[in-house]
Amino acid sequence: MPELAQPAGRFREIARGKLADAHTQQALDDSTDRLRTHRLSAWAGLDDVEALRERAHAIRMEVIDDLEGHVARFTEALEARGGRVFRASTAEEASAYVAEVCSRAGAKIAAKSKSMATEEIGLNEALSAVGVQPVETDLGEYILQLAGEHPVHIVAPAIEKTAEQVAELLSAVEGTSIPPELEALTNAARRQLRETFLRADVGITGANFGVSSTGSVCLCTNEGNGRMVSSIPRVHVAVMGMERLVPTTADLAVLLKLLARSGTGQKLTVYTTLLTGPRRPGEEDGPEELHVVILDNGRSNLLRGRYREMLACIRCGACLNVCPVYRKSGGAAYGPVYSGPMGAVLLPLLVGLDEAPSLPHASSLCGACTDACPVKIPLHELLLDLRRDLVEEGVASRWERLGFTLWSWAWSSRLGYRASTLLARLGQPLGGLLGPGRVWSAGRTRPRFGRRYRDRRG
Amino acid sequence: MNNLVERFTAAAEAVGCHVHRGEAPAIEGAGVSTAIYGLADTGSVVLAAGPDEPRGRSLLPDVHVTLLREDLILPGLDELFAALGDELPSALAIVTGPSRSADIEQKLAVGVHGPREVHVVLLAPADEAVSA
Repeated sequence: MPELAQPAGRFREIARGKLADAHTQQALDDSTDRLRTHRLSAWAGLDDVEALRERAHAIRMEVIDDLEGHVARFTEALEARGGRVFRASTAEEASAYVAEVCSRAGAKIAAKSKSMATEEIGLNEALSAVGVQPVETDLGEYILQLAGEHPVHIVAPAIEKTAEQVAELLSAVEGTSIPPELEALTNAARRQLRETFLRADVGITGANFGVSSTGSVCLCTNEGNGRMVSSIPRVHVAVMGMERLVPTTADLAVLLKLLARSGTGQKLTVYTTLLTGPRRPGEEDGPEELHVVILDNGRSNLLRGRYREMLACIRCGACLNVCPVYRKSGGAAYGPVYSGPMGAVLLPLLVGLDEAPSLPHASSLCGACTDACPVKIPLHELLLDLRRDLVEEGVASRWERLGFTLWSWAWSSRLGYRASTLLARLGQPLGGLLGPGRVWSAGRTRPRFGRRYRDRRG
Repeated sequence: MNNLVERFTAAAEAVGCHVHRGEAPAIEGAGVSTAIYGLADTGSVVLAAGPDEPRGRSLLPDVHVTLLREDLILPGLDELFAALGDELPSALAIVTGPSRSADIEQKLAVGVHGPREVHVVLLAPADEAVSA
């Protein structure tokens, strides 16, 4: 499995680099502002967005409460329609199964539509290793694949790339120079990838949702590549996180009303596709084989505990756009796949806190993520709980624990509290020069400790 | 009923569709599909794959023309899934406007992989009876 989270220390290093890069800061500001504003106006257009969010939360929790039952119902319904289901407990199992399907189909090229689940399992590396060329067909993902980079936003993966950089990458494929203009670039990508759709033996997608009662896989895309890769190649493989199920199509309607509105501000994505089994008799196109890989990869560990609500996430990206930490540090600091508040909660749960100790701290705990979450996951509370776990599991540094022990001891008496504020006032001039005070105040404005009203009276 | 047609038209035009009444535009090379429903809330047309409705027809050509009977316009997704029940086609596509992307510098580009133009031709129920 690829490293999903950046190692400790890398977060600060990458974030510091991004903070110093004016172009990235501008791109992050523009894109997150735009997506956030669009979400707010789309939410305002709903009759009762709060009621809908409550309903969506309840639907997601209903599935999480009986996930095994839902997986069983989904499997039965899909197999009755001629689809095949493979349950993968690890990333390696999932990748190996997809590679095997490709080999059996004699595939040389696999056309992929954007999928965070396939990023998570490192599928492209696994396919290349067995001689199958994976081609990303989402425009942003295609650009990143040509650049050899990873997505920095789960909805807008290539927000940090300029038109000039895109032109350079597409020109290299084309063999002629393409001007850095939107229409020319779009046309070039359309031309280059159209050939991929027609030549690919296997199409690979993720799944935005699965419907337990009908065995359907739901894909939401804007460009049409999701429809292409699930319609044209002879074999279609969908990789679905095991928690992405909803009980019925009526429940799906509730989530679809929130997904695009929260992600991009659209009422619906341009193509909302519901696939129920492979091509049927008499149909002239559509895949002959449909495989759905149901991916666990650590998710079932979350089912019975404090963090189960994280499984309700629908990957809309709304929490990224409002997060003061994401908006400055960018996605790469978190890791190559998930980022922002959802990534900061999910990654430590998938890979273990000791592998991602910096992520629970990648938050100001302001709660903007929780307010933006369409399925009402209490993201900032989960981040605080993860910090508590860091201490309890002894992952937090000895100095951090000592500091908090002293603080809690000092502030539990009136005298200790007054002594600490006096000390802060006296030590103020030194704070920016020494030890942790110097580290903390690099890039921040230090607060001023004045005489407290309480002290003046007393 | 008329209200639904008006709402559908406004929403479909807002997402970049061309809406016509009664007569299909003659566009060479266009793929012509028949929608099983329309959705007034979102301006979407709903296509069900089947022997008479291949998936590629509404996907591969540059221009997609879809025929929609006015009496098949529903308010939105809730009514759509209630009408469909649990017997779904192999592929159900809810199409809301032409193919688009904002992946390059967050600027809207139309016609990335799917059709660049979507035309919806509204047919009165009587028109359909005559042509059928």
